[in-house]
Amino acid sequence: MATETQTKNVSINNFEQCLKCSICTVYCPVSAVSPAYPGPKQAGPDAERYRLKNKEFFDEALKMCLNCKRCEVACPSGVNIGDIIQAARIKYNSHRPKLRDMMLANTDFVGTMASPFASIANPVLKLKPVKAVLHGVMAIDKHRTFPDYSSRKFESWFKKEVAATQENYSKHVSYFHGCYVNYNYPQLGKDFVKIMNAVGYGVHLLEKEKCCGVALIANGMPKQARRQGEVNMASMRKAIAQGHQVLTTSSTCTFTMRDEYAHLLDIDNHDVRDNISLATRFLFQLIERGEIKLAFSDDFHKRVAYHSACHIERMGWVPYSTRMLSMIPGVELVMLDSQCCGISGTYGFKRENYERSQAIGKGLFDQIKEVAPDCVATDCETCKWQIEMSTGVTVENPISIIAQALDVEKTRKLNALD
Amino acid sequence: MKFDDIIIGGGLSGLTAAISLAQAGHDVAVISAGQSTLHFSGGSLDLLGCDSNGNAVESPLEAIATVSDSHPYKKVNEIEAKALNAKQLLSEAGITTTGNASANHWRITPIGAIKPTWLSVDGMATVPSSQAMPWKRVALVNIINYLDFPTKFLAAGLRAKGVEVEVKPITVPALEQLRKSPSEMRSTNIAKTIERNGLVEEVATAINNATGNNYDMVLLPAVLGIDSSATSDKLLKLISCPAGYVATLPPSVTGVRMQTLLRKRFTALGGTFFTGDQVVEGIFDGNTLKGVRTAKLDDTTLEASHFILATGSFMSRGLVADYNHVYEPALGVDVEDHSLNRKSWAVVDINSNQPYMEIGVKTDDQLRCMKNGEIITNLYATGAILSGHNSIKSLDAAGVDMLTALQAVNNILK
Repeated sequence: MATETQTKNVSINNFEQCLKCSICTVYCPVSAVSPAYPGPKQAGPDAERYRLKNKEFFDEALKMCLNCKRCEVACPSGVNIGDIIQAARIKYNSHRPKLRDMMLANTDFVGTMASPFASIANPVLKLKPVKAVLHGVMAIDKHRTFPDYSSRKFESWFKKEVAATQENYSKHVSYFHGCYVNYNYPQLGKDFVKIMNAVGYGVHLLEKEKCCGVALIANGMPKQARRQGEVNMASMRKAIAQGHQVLTTSSTCTFTMRDEYAHLLDIDNHDVRDNISLATRFLFQLIERGEIKLAFSDDFHKRVAYHSACHIERMGWVPYSTRMLSMIPGVELVMLDSQCCGISGTYGFKRENYERSQAIGKGLFDQIKEVAPDCVATDCETCKWQIEMSTGVTVENPISIIAQALDVEKTRKLNALD
Repeated sequence: MKFDDIIIGGGLSGLTAAISLAQAGHDVAVISAGQSTLHFSGGSLDLLGCDSNGNAVESPLEAIATVSDSHPYKKVNEIEAKALNAKQLLSEAGITTTGNASANHWRITPIGAIKPTWLSVDGMATVPSSQAMPWKRVALVNIINYLDFPTKFLAAGLRAKGVEVEVKPITVPALEQLRKSPSEMRSTNIAKTIERNGLVEEVATAINNATGNNYDMVLLPAVLGIDSSATSDKLLKLISCPAGYVATLPPSVTGVRMQTLLRKRFTALGGTFFTGDQVVEGIFDGNTLKGVRTAKLDDTTLEASHFILATGSFMSRGLVADYNHVYEPALGVDVEDHSLNRKSWAVVDINSNQPYMEIGVKTDDQLRCMKNGEIITNLYATGAILSGHNSIKSLDAAGVDMLTALQAVNNILK
């Protein structure tokens, strides 16, 4: 009986395993710059005991949490501290989301509306008076510029230019491109298709793709996030049934669909989870198993500084991306210290968070300026906006760097495609 | 994923081994399940503080010759040279220390006890002997509202040694803000606030205003220097009286700095760090460990020629106890004294010698682990997970961590 009690009594998010060692507090980027934030230990396992007694103990200050999960990475006892905090926000927060938060969170709706008018929307969103209105009325900070909308969505490009040839390949994968690739930066999706085709894989879109929902969770719209998550899971099940792996080029979308769906949204993804992977990880595994080979051009040279985005750090997958980059002979790789850049998706766009966001990222920005690389590599698109805005250094997804360095002809030959 | 060597555990022992192997040109990975107990470091490293009778050791090198046969030091060759290597390795990582293995000096604990130690991080206040204190008048400075520096205990400890102590509370406006969340006025947040806002001069002025030139020694809580010792060194220089740091209750800023600098050193040498992941299975082929599986890498096996298990003791979950036995959870290697039952592994008086402290992983004379009684030829154990000594009673934790790690590296490289 005693053994039974000890081994089977697992608390929600493991919170009873907290030893109160305080290691998590060392790595919280928020409490280091905002004394009003109670820090991960207090906001997480400590206050959870009170909240379980009475919901009145819910503290509005929890919305300052970035959901970076660095507390969980640091925890030696396996407590899901970040999940405890996010779950409390979902469960106890009684405020309805503001219009601004709804707009920031609905990345695919806003993207769909903006893309046809990209040539107008992009310059307009950069105008000082527009920014002033956004700042004053919408509380979107005036220092921020929205990432440019692409006039042609990735999906439109894909369907028109390459979809027809994908069946020519003998092996196939599905691609969850995410909102960023679709509306803002189709080039990353094109880079992905270029690499996969060069090694003999046809790329397919999912039957239906919705925003992964990370911004909806962060902005207090869990129900909509759940609906969208279910759509994604249903589409992925179909792809997996055809023998496809579902690949992504965004660490946060991947983390959300693999881990947050089950932990925070109560979506049953157990049959899908293991088939969702980052493209760098998938490629690394294929190379390691000897199934594909990559050839790189001799005249590609870049000094690349790798930034470990919070959610790839939480997944433990950084070495897949860095080992892929290290395979490129012309890449000199410098590892930046692993720390949050401060943007956390929509968080840093909000007027009330702007200063905090920049203070959190300062250590990283200073280090990047000191290293002075040709570019920064990271697996997260919002880190890209933040680092580019704050340092002026170009930021690329590892997939784009691989695509730039790839010698397509040689690679096709190596993989016996020609 | 293939490496030359894989170290399981990213604390003092694991990183010592990892850095040494990377320096030898190996492709090394460290797998670390959360942060290490360096976060509770007192800013000093012990080699051997007490002999088997509980008496303070003057010369660790001499006393190590007399440790029991079960002690991990019995498996370390050329202790003196390895102790020098360890100090050198720390220094190359940016952690400069005072002290040597021939003669212990004394550190001051956060609750005012004086303990023998081997190396102290530069800047920590130390004394040459436990008997006569080198100071007549001491100012014990604390930051107002900072609760993890128990000045009453500290003052009482020093007064018991005949020192005149005055407690001097100080603050600066930015630090007053830190108690907005009462729980978050922590050592590391104080360090970050002072360093990021460039407040070292302001803090020095506040300290000098409180202490003037009137003291033989100004003792400060070790709440500076989280990324490097630049700011903590600078503050000591700006104080009019001689000054030094005393460790605080956790988290330890000095310990965080040691952890950060060791990891940076390893990464700069080209090492790969698997952060926040946990080994859940070993893939064995006869008496060889081929690879390990982790909680987060799913179907990826991490393979290597040699492995080091440096996952620590109970606190770090390198060892786990349930109601019936103690086991090693990552690879299921043999644990010494696993037959002890629960009633015999603990003693009611918490201060007595607790038998469970000596429980640990069983190794041969080359520090290689065993599984079902058979030696695993390429798997070594180092640091706190080793059986046969009580690091709390003998004050030898850091020495065992670093020296067994260096020995395992020797055994791998030879």
